[in-house]
Amino acid sequence: MTEQSLHPRVRLVWILRAMILAVVFSLPFAGAFYFGRLPVWAPVVAGGVVLVLGVTHAVLKYRRWSYEIREDALYLDRGVITQVRTTVPLVRIQHVDSRRGPVERGVGLASCVVYTAGSRGADVQIPGLTPNGASDLREELKRLAIRADGEDAV
Amino acid sequence: MKLAPQSVPYRALQKVSGFVVVAFFVVNSNDWGILPAAGAGGAILLVALAYEIAYYQRFEYELTDDTFDISSGVISRREREIPYRRIQNVDVSQGVIQRALGLAAVDLETAGGSSTEGSIRFVKPDEATRLRRELQRRKSAASSDISETTGDIDETETAERDEFGPAEEELFTISPGELALVGALSFDGRLIGLLMFLSSGSVPVLSGFIPDASAIALTATAIVAVGALFLVSWIIGAGVAFSNYYGFRLSQAGDELRYERGLFRRYSGSIPTEKIQTLMITDNPAKRALGYASLSIETAGYAPGQSGEQGSQAAVPIATTDRVYRLAHEVESFGTPTFSRPPKRIRWRYVIQYTIVVSLLVGIAFAVNWFVAADLPWFGPIVLLLAVPPAAHLKWKHRGYWLGDDHLLTRNGFWSRTVTVVPYYRIQTVIDSRTVFQRRWNVATIVADTAGSSSLTGTSAAAVDFEVEEAVELRETLQNRLQSAVASHRSRRGGFEWFEDDVDETTETAEKTERAEPTEQPGAVESESGETAEDDAETTPDVPDDGVIRPNFSVNERDYSEPAELIDTGKNAVDRFPSDADVAHRRDEPEVQAERGDEQSEREPEAAPESDSEQDDSEREDEAASDDSDREDEETPDDSDREDEAASDDSDR
Repeated sequence: MTEQSLHPRVRLVWILRAMILAVVFSLPFAGAFYFGRLPVWAPVVAGGVVLVLGVTHAVLKYRRWSYEIREDALYLDRGVITQVRTTVPLVRIQHVDSRRGPVERGVGLASCVVYTAGSRGADVQIPGLTPNGASDLREELKRLAIRADGEDAV
Repeated sequence: MKLAPQSVPYRALQKVSGFVVVAFFVVNSNDWGILPAAGAGGAILLVALAYEIAYYQRFEYELTDDTFDISSGVISRREREIPYRRIQNVDVSQGVIQRALGLAAVDLETAGGSSTEGSIRFVKPDEATRLRRELQRRKSAASSDISETTGDIDETETAERDEFGPAEEELFTISPGELALVGALSFDGRLIGLLMFLSSGSVPVLSGFIPDASAIALTATAIVAVGALFLVSWIIGAGVAFSNYYGFRLSQAGDELRYERGLFRRYSGSIPTEKIQTLMITDNPAKRALGYASLSIETAGYAPGQSGEQGSQAAVPIATTDRVYRLAHEVESFGTPTFSRPPKRIRWRYVIQYTIVVSLLVGIAFAVNWFVAADLPWFGPIVLLLAVPPAAHLKWKHRGYWLGDDHLLTRNGFWSRTVTVVPYYRIQTVIDSRTVFQRRWNVATIVADTAGSSSLTGTSAAAVDFEVEEAVELRETLQNRLQSAVASHRSRRGGFEWFEDDVDETTETAEKTERAEPTEQPGAVESESGETAEDDAETTPDVPDDGVIRPNFSVNERDYSEPAELIDTGKNAVDRFPSDADVAHRRDEPEVQAERGDEQSEREPEAAPESDSEQDDSEREDEAASDDSDREDEETPDDSDREDEAASDDSDR
């Protein structure tokens, strides 16, 4: 399989997250404004800065994200500030989940989580899949993991 | 089998003892008098005893043919079966009081979860030893059952082994001198913090006595106090280390390592060598100067340091460096490592890092000085700049990695230098990460993650700050060597196991395509499908050296970010591009189009039109799911044809 990118709509999920973060971040400033300690623009600016950063991050993250099922490993390339490339050998896959959070359901997406016995990269999440895509990917990984024979997964 | 009867009063007292302390304070603060208090205490003790009797009666463990069963629980009951093969370590420990009463605690660790899977509190020491031996025997029998297809030979073998027991070969016994050294060198910095915290409470009290002491006297007392703190924490650290490692003994018996240690609380246990994940050889400047090092053995069962200050159960606390390496070779025979270091230019990166830290310190000192408006020498930390270049050099010098025949070795750290030995076979994932700053220097970090649990604290094998090209090559190499290590392990086990057992567990849709795979030889059904001409070229099965034809792992070109396209035949929906099949993308295939057109006119009104690509995904999923189950019962000729094709395509690969 060639390198796969995520579904474009995943940006919506991330941008929504950035918006929530921006609101949370501007709350203390809003509180300070309410008590007359700060001018009215302070919470707006604070929220705006976080929002712009968050949206930029989301867009860059989407551009960066790619995954690929290679002959004997699942290969992921992601990360904006710290670029991370993870190689998950198919022999090491313990189990695979496909899951849909509330936001993901809202935009009609799903994600797929791959678990290994490792301690650091113990669960690898692939976001931004269509529900069918996620369950297909899950089936595919499961099939490949069984083929690769996870007898000695630890 | 049951627990030891004397465990009942011991457990009851253990439970109540904490409560008694609380009760003591409560009684002290009220004036109820001693009688009601004693009455209440007695009542609680009775309740605890009753509970423990019930616990004793409920708790039962049993060694069955292939699992260790524990049924326990008074209020919520639990039956637990632990397969012998999954047991990682067996640990036995005895506290001082437990030893006096003749009790021992047995803990079984498996790879899953963070807590101990089987804990037996308490049995008699003889029984504990018997359990450990028996579990080990059955475990090796269980795992050799896997490797050898004939079980009968195995039976006799294990029976023999049972009679004689595997010969125990001593690997390491701590000498009094080494024990003293462990005590002397185990200086725990955290203790200072704790003592500082405790003693800070007494400062206001003390300062009341010395109201008009001179500045010199104050400084003198401060220095003495700090010195005393160091001394006390050092003595405590030494004492703890001494009692922990008193009588340390590591031995090898058959395919397991056994250890024993402890002065007040005795620990003993076994670690199967096949479950060992990584080895870590650590030293610090003091140990290096004296030519000593320590070794710790990590399994997936538990984290070293999981149980507080005890550290890894099977760690050799201290031994001469060459002895440590000999021991390590005994467990994992890696060669003589020659580490390759990161590029020299990376030292500048560390110089910059340290300079930033120093300037931050200066900044903080300046801020404090400005804030308290005192005339302190805030520029003092600048002196540290002198130490920056040697520090950067040392940091660079002690980094490195080495690729052995079967192991990856990494080395990091100056103050606490750790050499991590990871067999390729134990690698779980390979992670290549580059921070923004690392990208500027064109370097990367490669982490070989294992199932050992101490990686959470950041001690997993990492090759830090290597040239990107080298790092990428290292990543690929690790991945390839892992694959070949797994393959060679498999062939050593001698078994070529298909996964017939697993097929039952898989879901129905997957089963359909898989059914064909295991039984049919690849390439047997080539002629049936139309488009195998080019497939043939790439997937002609060649018989490997070991005569075993393995399935081709090539994967399909399917883009999972797009939904599976459904073909509506009126009765049921079929995944047009099944994930398992190598069906080429045939969007414009005329007959499918025509068929779709026909069917669409006959469809019921509530079904959403197929051509609408923006259709709600979840709805489509539901539809697919329900149609899927229909498909099981009534298959139109159309469908079965297509599926056969899919299946045969798949088995071709």
